[in-house]
Amino acid sequence: MTSRIGSLPPLLPTDGPWKSAPQAASFAEREFQVAITTRLIEDQKNYWVAAGGGPMYSVLLARRLYAPNALYVTEDGIVGADPVLPLDPVMTVVAEKPSYRALQWTTMNGIGDHCAVGYMDVGILNALQIDPYGNINSTWVGEYPTKGRRVNGPGGADTIAAQCRRVILMTDHQKRKFVPKVDFISSPGFLDGSPGARERAGLPRNTGPWVVVTNWALFDFEEKTHRMRLRGIAPFITVDRVLAEMSFEPLVADTLETLDVPTEQEVNIFRAEMDTGGQYSDARGGWVVREEDRWKLAAA
Amino acid sequence: MATERHLRILDEGRGDYLKVDPDGFRDWVGTKNRAMTPKLMTAAEAVSRFVADGDYITWECNYLQRGPSAVLREIVRQKKRRLWACGKFTWVAVALLVDAGCVDRADMGFFMGGPGLNRAVLEGRLKVWEYSNVVMTNRVRAGAMGLSFVQVRSLGGTTNFPHSAAKLIEDPYTGEPTVIVPALNPDVAIIHVHQADVYGNARIFGAGISDVDSAMASKKVVISTEEIIDTEDIRHNPGLTKIPFYAVDAVVHQPFGAYPGECPGHYASDSEHVGEVFTAMNRDKLGAYLQKWIYAYDSEEEMLEKAVGRVRLAELERRSTRKEGFRP
Repeated sequence: MTSRIGSLPPLLPTDGPWKSAPQAASFAEREFQVAITTRLIEDQKNYWVAAGGGPMYSVLLARRLYAPNALYVTEDGIVGADPVLPLDPVMTVVAEKPSYRALQWTTMNGIGDHCAVGYMDVGILNALQIDPYGNINSTWVGEYPTKGRRVNGPGGADTIAAQCRRVILMTDHQKRKFVPKVDFISSPGFLDGSPGARERAGLPRNTGPWVVVTNWALFDFEEKTHRMRLRGIAPFITVDRVLAEMSFEPLVADTLETLDVPTEQEVNIFRAEMDTGGQYSDARGGWVVREEDRWKLAAA
Repeated sequence: MATERHLRILDEGRGDYLKVDPDGFRDWVGTKNRAMTPKLMTAAEAVSRFVADGDYITWECNYLQRGPSAVLREIVRQKKRRLWACGKFTWVAVALLVDAGCVDRADMGFFMGGPGLNRAVLEGRLKVWEYSNVVMTNRVRAGAMGLSFVQVRSLGGTTNFPHSAAKLIEDPYTGEPTVIVPALNPDVAIIHVHQADVYGNARIFGAGISDVDSAMASKKVVISTEEIIDTEDIRHNPGLTKIPFYAVDAVVHQPFGAYPGECPGHYASDSEHVGEVFTAMNRDKLGAYLQKWIYAYDSEEEMLEKAVGRVRLAELERRSTRKEGFRP
C-alpha cells in the first residue's frame, strides 16, 4: 500500500554548492545517479566503497568537489588513497593507480577489522536486485540453486552491508531490480523488516541501509517498518513512472524532494577524470536534455 | 562443582566444509623442513610436487591483480583434478579452473561466472558453498591462528548462511546471538610476491587480501616471485619480511608471474589479454582461451616468449609508472 507520511528532514543538504552552480546542458541518467550519491557524501567521514562503478565514482567526485576529506577504503586494503585518474578498467584494486598516495596499505582482513570495530561510517554498494527492506542479491538470478544463473557473489558487500554504520545502495531503476523478494539475500538489509531482525541474526546494532539512489529517484527506509520509502525524484520523471518501474509498492513520503540535476562542473570532472570512455554512463540508461524549459528524458 | 551448561546453537547452515582439525594441522607443520635449504624450482616442478588431486587450494589476489597467474596456468597444464577452490576476490580464475576440469568445489566469496561455469553448477559438476570475501579471509586467519572456528559479525540473516557451514550461537559471554564459521587450513596456498630469497623469506609490497594468513594457514606453500634476492638483504631489513621461510615449500622465480595481470611496481596489466579472457568467459569460449594461452606451450617461459613477446613485455614494464612504495 502506498501511504502518506508527515514531513521529514531532507536527506540532501538544502544549501549545497550545486544549488547555485550552472547546470549541465545535458547529461546521462547514470550521471544524475552519481551526482546525487556524490552530494550525500560528507566530509571527514570514512567510506567503504565497492571497488568500481557508481560507488567508487561517487566518492571520487565528492572528494574533488564537496568533501575533500571524505576518506575511502576498498576491500583489498587500500586506505585513504589519492588515486591517479582515470583508473584503467578492472584495475581498481591492488594496482598502482588506485593505490597511489594512500595512507595505509593493509589487507582484506585489515579492512574487515576496521569495519567490525566501527570505523567505517558509510558503505556504498551496487545492487543487482533489491527488496522493500534493502536486502540485496548479487549471487543468483532465478530459483536457487537449480534454475537460473549464478552471478558474482557478495564479495565484500556482505561485510559492508552488515557492519558499516549506514549504507548507500545504488541500482538502476528497473522493474526487475526492485522485487518483492530477492532470489537470494547475498548481503543483508533489514531482513524481514521486523524490529531487531538484524541483531537476532548476529549483526551489530545501529547498522543497516540508509538510502537507495537510482537514475530516477531517491529512497530511504521508514524508521518503524523498515520499508523502502520514496523521498525524491528527478525533474525529468514522474512519480507514476517511478512507481510503475518497481515490482513492489514503496511507501511514499508526503512531500517529495525534487532532486537537482547535475551541474556543469560535476559532469565535466566526471567525464574527464572518471568515466572517460563513457563506459559507465553509456552502459545503461538514456540521455536527458532541456527542451522548452523542461528536462526531458530521451529514449535510451 | 560447577553446574554443567550447554552452548546453545540457534541455527546452522548445511554446507559441507573442509574438515577442521587444528591438531592435525600442527602435526603436519611438525613434519615440515626447518632447515634453510634452497627451495628454488620451476613452476612445473612446484605444481607437480605440491599440488595434489583433491587438494583444497587457495591463491592470493587473482589472475588479473598480483596473483600467481603463471602457477595457476601450470595447474591447468598438468590437469590437476577435483580441487576445492577458495573462491575469494577472484575475477576469472575459478571459471578458468572449472572449464579446464581442475576444480569441482568452491567456497564463494567473489568470482565471476559466465555460461560455462553456470552450466557446471546446473549440471552438478561444480558445487558451491556460500560465504563472502571477508568471511573467507577470516576463516583463513582463524586457520593461521591454530583455531577451529571464528566469530564473524556478518553472514547472519542472509541466504549464504543456510548454504555455508556457519552456525548461529548464543554468545557464551554476551548472551547475544552471534555467527561462527569454521577455520580453514587449505592443503595448498599459491602466492605471488615481489621478492624472496631462495629459502622462501618473502616480501610483498602494496595492498593485498590474505597473503600472510594463507601462508601460515596452509599445509603446503608455493611462492612465485618476481625477483630472487640475497638472504643478506633480508637480514638487513627484516621488517619487510611478510612470510618466513619455514612456511614455504617451493620458491619459483617467475618474472611476469602475474601476467596478464598487473604486478604493482613491476609491470602493468596487458589490457588486451584481460579483455580477451573476460570475453572468452562471457561468450563461453574458455576452451579456446585455454588452448591458445596454456595447452599450446610446455612452460610459462615459452608462452611469454612466443605468445606475448619481449617487445610487449617491455612495454608493460614501461607502463608501470607509480613505483613509490613497491620497492624497498
